[in-house]
Amino acid sequence: MNKIRILYFLLLNCISVSGQELKIEASYEYLYADQWDKAIQTYNFSRPFEKEKQPLLSNGINTSISYIFKNEKHFKHGINFAYSFFHSAAGNENFNNNLNLHFVNLGYFIHYENAEKWKGFYSDLIFSGTSSVLLRNVNGAPYRYDNIIAKAFGVGGTVRLKLGYYSTWKNNRCFSPFIAFAYTPYLYAPNNERIINQTKGLTSKNWTGIGMVQIGLTFHLRKQE
Amino acid sequence: MERRDFLKQATLLSIGGILIPSTFLTSCRKETLLEDVKYEGKVLIIGAGAAGLYAAYILKSKGINFQILEASSNYGGRLGKLDTFANFPIDLGAQWLHGKNSILGDLITKSNTKTTVDESVTKYWFNNQLVTTLPKNIDIFNGENLPDISYSEYALQKGLGKEYKYIIENIAGDQGASASRLSVFGNNQEEENWSSGDDDFKFQETFYDLIDQEIAGLVKDKIVLNTIVSKIDYSQAEIILTDSTNNYFKADKVIITVPIPILKSGDIEFTPPLPKEKITAFSKIGMDAGMKVFLKFNTKFYAQNIVGGAICAAYADESIGKAQNDNVLLAFVMGEQAEYLTALGNNDAITKALLQELDTMYNGQASASYISSHVQNWTTNPFIKGAYSYSKIGIGDARKIACQSINQKVYFAGEAMNTNGHHQTVHGAVETGYREVINLLNDIQK
Repeated sequence: MNKIRILYFLLLNCISVSGQELKIEASYEYLYADQWDKAIQTYNFSRPFEKEKQPLLSNGINTSISYIFKNEKHFKHGINFAYSFFHSAAGNENFNNNLNLHFVNLGYFIHYENAEKWKGFYSDLIFSGTSSVLLRNVNGAPYRYDNIIAKAFGVGGTVRLKLGYYSTWKNNRCFSPFIAFAYTPYLYAPNNERIINQTKGLTSKNWTGIGMVQIGLTFHLRKQE
Repeated sequence: MERRDFLKQATLLSIGGILIPSTFLTSCRKETLLEDVKYEGKVLIIGAGAAGLYAAYILKSKGINFQILEASSNYGGRLGKLDTFANFPIDLGAQWLHGKNSILGDLITKSNTKTTVDESVTKYWFNNQLVTTLPKNIDIFNGENLPDISYSEYALQKGLGKEYKYIIENIAGDQGASASRLSVFGNNQEEENWSSGDDDFKFQETFYDLIDQEIAGLVKDKIVLNTIVSKIDYSQAEIILTDSTNNYFKADKVIITVPIPILKSGDIEFTPPLPKEKITAFSKIGMDAGMKVFLKFNTKFYAQNIVGGAICAAYADESIGKAQNDNVLLAFVMGEQAEYLTALGNNDAITKALLQELDTMYNGQASASYISSHVQNWTTNPFIKGAYSYSKIGIGDARKIACQSINQKVYFAGEAMNTNGHHQTVHGAVETGYREVINLLNDIQK
């Protein structure tokens, strides 16, 4: 508990020195990536010996931390770090296949709020670099071939628009539910098909566009005026 | 708003907000390709090798009416099994699974099939002696800016002289080709998409058993053996196939999985004739002679792998990875060497030539401990005519053109039709099997 208090104190101190607000988010995230869908759909089509089909990579969780710098009245800017995790599991006799997809985003964002016109609403426009890693797990163990854990990396860029609503501030703290829409026009992930369908260039392109929808809750910690 | 009320509302909104859209959005996306496509027509598959069997397996899983016409008296194509030669079963055809990151790798895991990585040690027959290392690096056939010339020519350019001839022949032989015919550029480019891994696996039982038990066993009631398709008339809505005894078979779609030499040599007559660019593409895909000779001895005088012989560039200890250990040495003969041995005319002459070479390497021990041999010559099999496909000089996009379907009626599968780097392999053949069923169903959907 003491460690948490110390961390909290440090964060407050940090904000009071150079920043204005710290935001910590947790959310549900829905993902749509057409090329990865194709690879999983082909996997399911081509393996009738798997009775339980591999679910598409679509439901995940996201957590992020944002730091807003001191700035103008309505427009502010900051940096954001986000992590997302998506999971797909299919349990079959002698063959439990899991796909674990991790995303890390590091970005810059513009925050807008206008208490007079927008009441308690605010928006963030986030531009971030995105990296991903896809891992496979078979029968409870990391999937290996050639004695190396199989993994597929991806890299791209994401733009995310977030709309939130502040609840009542109390002691410069508050929660806000939010909804966000993200679009990754190009994520270069040449080996994802290799992990999903054990092929390359058969089912899909070596890159994909990604759309995401996020619903969650943000905890705000603002500097004492 | 009280904090308690806010939290309550926020929780309800969150749950609703998550469940409703995610359920709706997820239901819009299908888990399986072509999930809703129904097809009442009949599909005929020509050839009961790995590609044909897997295409059949997929069609069966989709509830589509199909039949397999197989020219020979057994199914499996270039897979085969011999139980009686040694105290372990022997693969007469494909025996190594090249990389486990493939659909067959999954099938092996699921079926608990026992395999081991082939980590056998190689000795080279070099300058008339057996050595464990070579003076020069022979790993020269991968990389960028490679020329579209033969392996043998490129090796000479890189300073690997005549003393390396049969070492290079072995490298090309792995690709099923003579070093003088295999393209450095073509082979390298075609393997760019290779994704199944580099380890080679051997089966404790046989590769044939895996395909037989896990795939063929599910569709064997639909295989018509001894049916040599000689004509395919796809000029009308209904496709009519004629076999060598003038029996007719009717179908709405045909998947052709025969080896590339059968297509190249015109053993099947098409009406209307196949497009010229397709025939040209067939001619650009190579397939050389290939045979496997199993030599049984009463002592194990030989190394696990012997590379560089002038009669056979690759010998391998067949007992590696097996539960029993009879002394069986495999002579894996490809390309010009297989042509030479085939020209000897009979199995005794082939065995004698190989024993002579081994005697030279091992001071007469081969003949002294020889028990028996089995020759499996895939070249003289009239329905196979060779080993497996390779990248000839100037191959370009030949495989992509060769595998294109015709008039949404005639489809092409088989290892030679694999365009994602897995040609020459059983898992590559399997991939074309399901790929063509996808193409077929996509055409129906159109």
